Amino acid sequence: MLRIENLSAWYGEAQVLRDAGLHVDPGEVVTLVGRNGAGKSTLLRCVMGLHTGWRGTVELGGTALGNLSADRRARLGLGWVPDDRGSYATLTVTENLTLPPTVGPDPWSLERVYEAFPALYQRRNSAATTLSGGEQQMLALARVLRMGARMLLCDEPTEGLAPLLVQQVGDLLREAKRHGVTVLLVEQNLRFATSVADRHYLLAEGRVTAAMENSEVRSRERELLSYLGI
Amino acid sequence: MVMRRTVGLVAAATATAFVVAGCGGGGPQSEGDEKVTGGAIVLGVLNDQSGAYSELSGRNSVTAVELAIADFRAKYGDRAVTTDISVRSADHQNKPDLANSKAQEMYDRQGVDLILDVPTSSAALRVADVAKEKRRLYFNISAATTDLTGKSCNKYTFHYAYDTYMLANGTGRTTTEQVGRNWYILYPNYAFGQDMEKSFSAAIADAGGRVVGKDGAPFPNTSGDYSSYLLKAATLDPKPDVLGTMQAGAELVNVVKQYNEFELRDKGVSLAVGLMFITDIHSLTPAALAGTTYTDAWYWNFDQQNREFADRFQQETGARPSFAHAANYSAATQYLEAVQAAGTDDADTIVAELEGKEVNDVFLRNGKIRAADHRVIHDAYLAQVKPQSEVTEEWDYVRILDTIPAEEAFRAPSPDCTL
Amino acid sequence: MTALLQSTFNGLVSGAFYALLALGLAVIFGMLRVVNFAHGAFYMLGAFGAYVLLAEAGVPFWVALVVVPLALALLGMALERAFIHRLTRLDPLYNFLLTFGLTLILQDLVKLRYGVQSSPYEAPAGLRGSVDFGLFDFPTYRVFILGFAVAVCVGVWWALARTRVGMIVRAATERPELTRALGINVGRWITPVFGFGIALAGLAGVLAAPMRAVNPLMGADLIIVVFAVVVIGGLGSIFGSVAAGFGIGMVQAWAEAYLSAFPIVAQTIVFIVMAAVLLWRPAGLFGRAEAPA
Ligand SMILES: Nc1ncnc2c1ncn2[C@@H]1O[C@H](COP(=O)(O)OP(=O)(O)OP(=O)(O)O)[C@@H](O)[C@H]1O
Ligand SMILES: [Mg+2]
Repeated sequence: MLRIENLSAWYGEAQVLRDAGLHVDPGEVVTLVGRNGAGKSTLLRCVMGLHTGWRGTVELGGTALGNLSADRRARLGLGWVPDDRGSYATLTVTENLTLPPTVGPDPWSLERVYEAFPALYQRRNSAATTLSGGEQQMLALARVLRMGARMLLCDEPTEGLAPLLVQQVGDLLREAKRHGVTVLLVEQNLRFATSVADRHYLLAEGRVTAAMENSEVRSRERELLSYLGI
Repeated sequence: MVMRRTVGLVAAATATAFVVAGCGGGGPQSEGDEKVTGGAIVLGVLNDQSGAYSELSGRNSVTAVELAIADFRAKYGDRAVTTDISVRSADHQNKPDLANSKAQEMYDRQGVDLILDVPTSSAALRVADVAKEKRRLYFNISAATTDLTGKSCNKYTFHYAYDTYMLANGTGRTTTEQVGRNWYILYPNYAFGQDMEKSFSAAIADAGGRVVGKDGAPFPNTSGDYSSYLLKAATLDPKPDVLGTMQAGAELVNVVKQYNEFELRDKGVSLAVGLMFITDIHSLTPAALAGTTYTDAWYWNFDQQNREFADRFQQETGARPSFAHAANYSAATQYLEAVQAAGTDDADTIVAELEGKEVNDVFLRNGKIRAADHRVIHDAYLAQVKPQSEVTEEWDYVRILDTIPAEEAFRAPSPDCTL
Repeated sequence: MTALLQSTFNGLVSGAFYALLALGLAVIFGMLRVVNFAHGAFYMLGAFGAYVLLAEAGVPFWVALVVVPLALALLGMALERAFIHRLTRLDPLYNFLLTFGLTLILQDLVKLRYGVQSSPYEAPAGLRGSVDFGLFDFPTYRVFILGFAVAVCVGVWWALARTRVGMIVRAATERPELTRALGINVGRWITPVFGFGIALAGLAGVLAAPMRAVNPLMGADLIIVVFAVVVIGGLGSIFGSVAAGFGIGMVQAWAEAYLSAFPIVAQTIVFIVMAAVLLWRPAGLFGRAEAPA
């Protein structure tokens, strides 16, 4: 579904990604772990077409994305859940959900979203930024599901969430996966990662230094945690 | 951040606008034994060629000076003291500093013998200083300040067409006598406006009138709105008979448009304008100004002589001349005549030649170049804008109500002036 | 009391011009991140458009009110395509300088053709005279301007709040990058929004023609005040620009009416207010600190 090869990225002079490569097969949930500042968000932004200084190959479903603009990429089925949750202050909850066009064959309806998240329904006419952090995270995920995106790029969706909400995020991702949605998940929470994902990549100093199965992550958990500095 | 930058950018950009300035060329002149320095006479027109005053004077004043040169050549032919007479011009954009540097450049580098025109009082005064320092001649036409013949007067500076005293004395006195005693004065709050307000208040009091209210409006008035003042005028007690506006150019246009909007004339408040040019009436249309009185230094359709000049001028420029255009023509002519009579362009000789001279030409009627303060006095006119129904010819917008004799039109020489 | 009402009313009328101009600036800034210095020049072109149509083709005010803003919107869109759009990726300073240069060019072109002198323009016959409000009467044309400007502001607010295009404009204004990443072709809306902002400036110009001096420099002074209004309201804030526009109009009118003994205060009140607001709320009254992405 998603293939990244020799991806390098810069902020001005500073190189953040160095020939990074990974792939996510259709229907898979794959996590990308790495220390703070390793370049995880930058990698997602490169896939989304939002980063300007980059070089390398990014393919979606076998076609190279090249210099496609971000909106074209979204309409090819990429759904971005940014690390800051991407809530609009000037849009209501409903508008936040209905702003993006539908881009896939199997989009969630607004009713389905509100059924799944009664809290969002209750606040549907409020500005999205007045929601709690957890609600905003649900909103961001619900938004890409409502688009019908086939390939989700989720940037630390569990960060700062209470355990109950983390579980809810997990349920949602597993549900998406059941419907054939592919997910690249940036995650620091290894327990959570192994509970939803099939495989894992480790990003260190801009390179993908390891590809691991669930079992390997579990067995190396202590080592990895100390590496990640958690 | 963006905001702070924006504010900074606006300031920076505005500043840039002020810096943009044209520049002139011209090499130094060699000194010779001729009667006339370098064998040539150079007249320099220094005025506003792009801004608010460029219509009432501006480039068309250069044309007026060229007409004067052509007439001089035609009149004297081979007997002329020199045939090499030319005009230089520069745009001072109404900025005193620019006027100062342009004047220096004209005298020093372009061999200019006489600087003409120079609207905007602050700029005019700076040029007077340059003339004094360089000991070269300067005929101011378009500036209004009486300081040119008062505390800032000097041997080489002559003030030609009008001044605030003339305007106030003509309009203030006559309007008080003929239209109404109670005045409300609205003036732009800067040197010219404050000057005009003082001169008008004095003239009105002299004529037995009373200023029941006066306000200095912002200058420049960025909102373009004068309604607060106009409404106030209508509610003052006692109610003013006359609204005297000292605004000029576009600001005058705003005042008049809004005076009409608030129907002050119907409420019994007549309009008197401190300074107005025929070009202003042309742009506002006589309908908007019908009945307004003001003092004119010269009117193109006053008599046959004026009209002939106006026809020639219109052929060259497409417009009828304002008094500033006619005065530039006259000033250039009188200077050339003086050089011809004296047989030299030596500034001190010319000053001696001009002082006390009595002159009549297309602009100067009963004119006299006063020796005491270098005020050039002449008849002035009290004018009234015709109602639209009486306008039969484009540009012929006013009726001359009264001729104010030269001796009365201008103030007596000021004790502040020592040449 | 009557005097207070009258000056308030007049302030609202001046404010109507500020509001229309600031609204256009705010929409343009929101969508393009361009501080359009040429806004005052388009206001001037609006007034000249009305004048030229009347003087040279006998086209009346009411037609000009529709035709001139539309024509200017087209001109604005062409200029956006030809120049502004090429510089949007660079530092905002570039476009600020570009639009500043554009201002000088537009002013000089008009000057070349029509001179600096003001051109005559009168209110349409139906809007002359005055309306009696009991306590005082007020020029009909001013009543019209106020009503019309309020209607336009409400209409724009409605379009922004209730239509899909409005939603996209709000989203793109708040977070342009995120909006693109959500599949919205923001670029497609930039040119029309610029044209729309210009049309508002042109509309203000047409409205001004009967009551203000119509000359090439008429927008030059005004735009400085409008910048102050936009800064006070909060750069890019639609509501802020309109509220600050009407507010500043009133404050100015009150200062002129009640502080006429101190003309310097009336002259600088806008900037005094601006400085005070910036000290108190650096992002303006209704502005928010800029969000990322
Ligand atoms: N806009 C920017 N300009 C310059 N450097 C940046 C910028 N954004 C990120 N960086 C730097 O690039 C590197 C990678 O950043 P990135 O946000 O991709 O890391 P990350 O792996 O997502 O970290 P985190 O776990 O903190 O989210 C970091 O060193 C960061 O400081
Ligand atoms: Mg990150």
